[in-house]
Amino acid sequence: MHGRLSLSICSRDLVCCSIRIFKNLKFKLLLNFESADQCLSGGVVMAKKKDSVDHDRNGNGDGEPEFSDPEDFVDDITDEELVGDVLRARPKETDGIENVVVVDGLPVVGEDRLDKLKGVIRKIFGKFGNINTESYASTLAEGQTTSYMFIEYSDPLSAAEAVKTMDGYKFDKNHTLLVNLFTDFEKYENISEDWKTPEPQPYKDAGNLWYYLLEPDAFDQYLVVKIGIPKGPHQPSNDVQVWLNAMPEPIELLTRAGGTETIAKWSPLGTYLATFHGKGVAVWGGDKFEKVNRFAHINAEFIDFSPNERYLVTFSPKAERQYDNPEVLIIWEIRTGAKKRTFSEVYKTPWPVIRWSHDDKFFARMGPDTLSVYETPSFRLQDNKSLKVVGIRDFTWSPTDNIIAYWVAENKDVPARVVLIEIPSRSEIRAKNLFNVADCRMHWQKSGDYLCVKVDRYAKVIMKKDKLLDTKYGGMYYNFEVFHLREKQVPVDSVEIKEPIVAFAWEPVGSKFAIIHGEPNSMSTSFWGVKKGDAPTLMKRFEKKRFNSMFWAPQGQFVILAQLKTAEGPLEFIDTSDFSIMNAIMPEMTTDIEWDPTGRYVMSAVSAWTGKVSDTGFSLLNFQGRIIRKERVERFGNLFWRPRPPCLLTHAQVKNIKKNLKTYSPAFEEKDRKRRSKAEQGVIKKRQDLLDAWNEYRLKKQEEYKSQKPKRMFLRNNNDTDELGADKNQLQEEVFEILIKEDVQPLDE
Amino acid sequence: MRPLILQGHTRAITQIKYNREGDLIFSSSKDANPCVWYSSNGERVGTFDGHNGAVWCIDIDWKTDKFLSGGGDMTIRLWDCETGKMLNKVDRDSPVRTALFSYSGNMAVYTTDAAMSKPCEIFFADVRDPTMLGESMTKSTVEGSKVTSILWGPLDDTVVTGHESGKLTQWDLRPSKDGTMFITASKDNTSKLFDIDTLELLKTYKTDRPVNSAAIAPNYEHILLGGGQEAMDVTTTGAKEGKFEARFYHLVFEEEFARVKGHFGPINSLTFHPRGTQYTSGAEDGFLRVHNFDKSYYDYKSDFFL
Repeated sequence: MHGRLSLSICSRDLVCCSIRIFKNLKFKLLLNFESADQCLSGGVVMAKKKDSVDHDRNGNGDGEPEFSDPEDFVDDITDEELVGDVLRARPKETDGIENVVVVDGLPVVGEDRLDKLKGVIRKIFGKFGNINTESYASTLAEGQTTSYMFIEYSDPLSAAEAVKTMDGYKFDKNHTLLVNLFTDFEKYENISEDWKTPEPQPYKDAGNLWYYLLEPDAFDQYLVVKIGIPKGPHQPSNDVQVWLNAMPEPIELLTRAGGTETIAKWSPLGTYLATFHGKGVAVWGGDKFEKVNRFAHINAEFIDFSPNERYLVTFSPKAERQYDNPEVLIIWEIRTGAKKRTFSEVYKTPWPVIRWSHDDKFFARMGPDTLSVYETPSFRLQDNKSLKVVGIRDFTWSPTDNIIAYWVAENKDVPARVVLIEIPSRSEIRAKNLFNVADCRMHWQKSGDYLCVKVDRYAKVIMKKDKLLDTKYGGMYYNFEVFHLREKQVPVDSVEIKEPIVAFAWEPVGSKFAIIHGEPNSMSTSFWGVKKGDAPTLMKRFEKKRFNSMFWAPQGQFVILAQLKTAEGPLEFIDTSDFSIMNAIMPEMTTDIEWDPTGRYVMSAVSAWTGKVSDTGFSLLNFQGRIIRKERVERFGNLFWRPRPPCLLTHAQVKNIKKNLKTYSPAFEEKDRKRRSKAEQGVIKKRQDLLDAWNEYRLKKQEEYKSQKPKRMFLRNNNDTDELGADKNQLQEEVFEILIKEDVQPLDE
Repeated sequence: MRPLILQGHTRAITQIKYNREGDLIFSSSKDANPCVWYSSNGERVGTFDGHNGAVWCIDIDWKTDKFLSGGGDMTIRLWDCETGKMLNKVDRDSPVRTALFSYSGNMAVYTTDAAMSKPCEIFFADVRDPTMLGESMTKSTVEGSKVTSILWGPLDDTVVTGHESGKLTQWDLRPSKDGTMFITASKDNTSKLFDIDTLELLKTYKTDRPVNSAAIAPNYEHILLGGGQEAMDVTTTGAKEGKFEARFYHLVFEEEFARVKGHFGPINSLTFHPRGTQYTSGAEDGFLRVHNFDKSYYDYKSDFFL
């Protein structure tokens, strides 16, 4: 039959026919697969398979396979369904069109400058791949180009990359490029008739996100993360709690079991609470902690809020390994949830990779030998190009001004440099050359008045010849370079310290800094004062005290010196106005210290993250180091105070309040007293009730006990032993004679 | 409060008891010789020599006539208090864990451990005649987890047993002065007060370490708890973390109000003097500490009403 058909039908039909036969075969094959599957899954459809075998055998009567369709066969499978993948790969007229991009918004030039334009275009678009052709449209009459052109790349990926990066590129002052894929034109032309403009979403009122600032007694909130029981092998689940630090007892505001997978975090002004989940990050706010937005970024492990809480940076290090074009770092707008910019690779720098200027207007990141500054809200490179800084090692923004401080490592004869630049002008404010530098750490004072650069310097380099990378330094000494930002020309002072530095911290408000330094068994803590136009002066030195951390109160003046993460670490509370030790306590262990945003209270915590099982929890202390409350919390992870935005009062107003504190304080003291006495009365009442209930119970029992007295007497041979000495007959008198002293005195003869 | 430190045992203390009048302290330890001491000055009166292993339990009858001890050498022994002479010894199949005279002193109860494929058993013996110690009047076998502590109910007709298993593991039972309540100590970091008739839970005292022993003060509404980190974990942590202090709680308010430091191992047993004028604690460190209360202890009362 097969042979007859092929003879009588033209070639095209033959193709169809053979496809159909093929189809029939495939159909059988499918059947077989199906039955095989069922066999595998323990089904009983062996018969079916046998049927089909029988069928084959019937058709095979003459030893020639029978492929033709039966008479009544209706073909209900379309070619698309069967060999769709083959059909889709068929070459199309439009192949190659994806490689073409349309660039609009170019300057209009005459023939004289066309070559120059071409050169520039090649340079900026050549970055994305090999350019096959470029064509410039021109108005023939005037010999001038039009404002658009076409570029064909050799592959669609380059074209897509070019569109992604170059759309909106500022070509020069008056020209912004609009770059589109050629295929997009087709796409947007063929929008179906039914397409409707998306309905505007109704505005979701998130409530008053700043309600916590209206707390009448200015109690602060704190967040507690407790380590929960994991849901699965790679699904940690931790509990989130928010408490109001009310006096005398805290009030629980929120508890969510399994509320986050890792930790939870407040935004820098305290408006939002962010939690981590496998699919991304959720942000909560308002008095009921409702979801404000969520940011889908699989396996996001790190987040960073911009200082004014407008943007959120999420970072998923795992994304890098999984996809060809990963979104490792995403910047979101918090209120709309829009993705503002993504980065597919990250240069290895400590978190945060993206560092924000204080006003959210700029952000910067570091690359090899480059410093890239971006501006918002356009999220493009500021000035279209990164700063080339050969050998850049680290940078930081000033906390109050748009100034970046960065430092460059030493390279042969070129000294290391610490440079301050102003953004957006990029002009250098101050640069300082430093020699023999092993490492630098930059510390801004919170008010942006000073920058202190800790410089690790060496006397000699011990190079190991076999290992090129392993450089060792000998004769280390340390410098502090203090930049006076608020003075003309930014003068720099230096302080040299011969001992290793363990910790450094600026007083957040004020002009002191503290250093813990020394060898492990003879550590000291020094306080230095910085004055306008003067080199820093040593104000106080505490010798021979083992501390490894210090924590300034947010308003300055008070500082806690601590020995963290060791058994029996002391905590000392120091008033730096006269350097008196207000209190020293010896908790068994402390892993974290958190000042509340007002500096009234401080929490010292023992976290279970360190592997400790018992005695985890936290203590609430006042700023003088007096313990107010101790709480043992099993599986306690972290505690974070809810931050507050900066005070709106001017410096003068605050000063005025401080001056007239006496006129304000009685009202608050009265309130405190009332609250305390109310609480005390509550406690007294509770205890009185307990005691009354107890006495009632005991009275009943004592009656019972008395009634049993005869039986007891009987058991002990009629001796009354209820009280010692109750039965006079039992008393026996014993006389002891104790020789206290023996004295031999010879009498006079 | 300067304690008397009684040094006589060479190993960890297991149990301490006063006699009814409180002039003598009896103590047993993991060494084989229970000791008797004068409670007034800590002088050792004598020892009961004979056991061949750790002594787990001791008791004195109300007349300070007979002394009962049981231990790891799988014997229960009855002694004459005054002379220290052994009156009778009975061999059992597994270590003797608890032993107690009844209120009348006519009977004794003792239990053996479930060990070496032998079950935990409770024996009741008439001890008026020492030779009858081995002839159990009645015997009951305990299925499941073993008895770790035992207490006579009032009037010699019931006993209360504490078991190793369950939420409350390892109980140490001590009666109140009038015997209407008893207190338990448990490894779950709590101590609980129960009514002996109804077994109703009256109060719970929470600490942050396993409690090995608890006692009710005879003259005040005070509870004394002793314990600390388990001996096997002590070497792995700092000394301070062990929390080997004895703790005073208010019986009614369940609030801690004082601690006494001193031992450098977990307290295994503690008890009040029958008059409430002193208490003695014995610990894993092998010392007994006898604390005579100061005036400030007696003055302390009204603080709970602020």
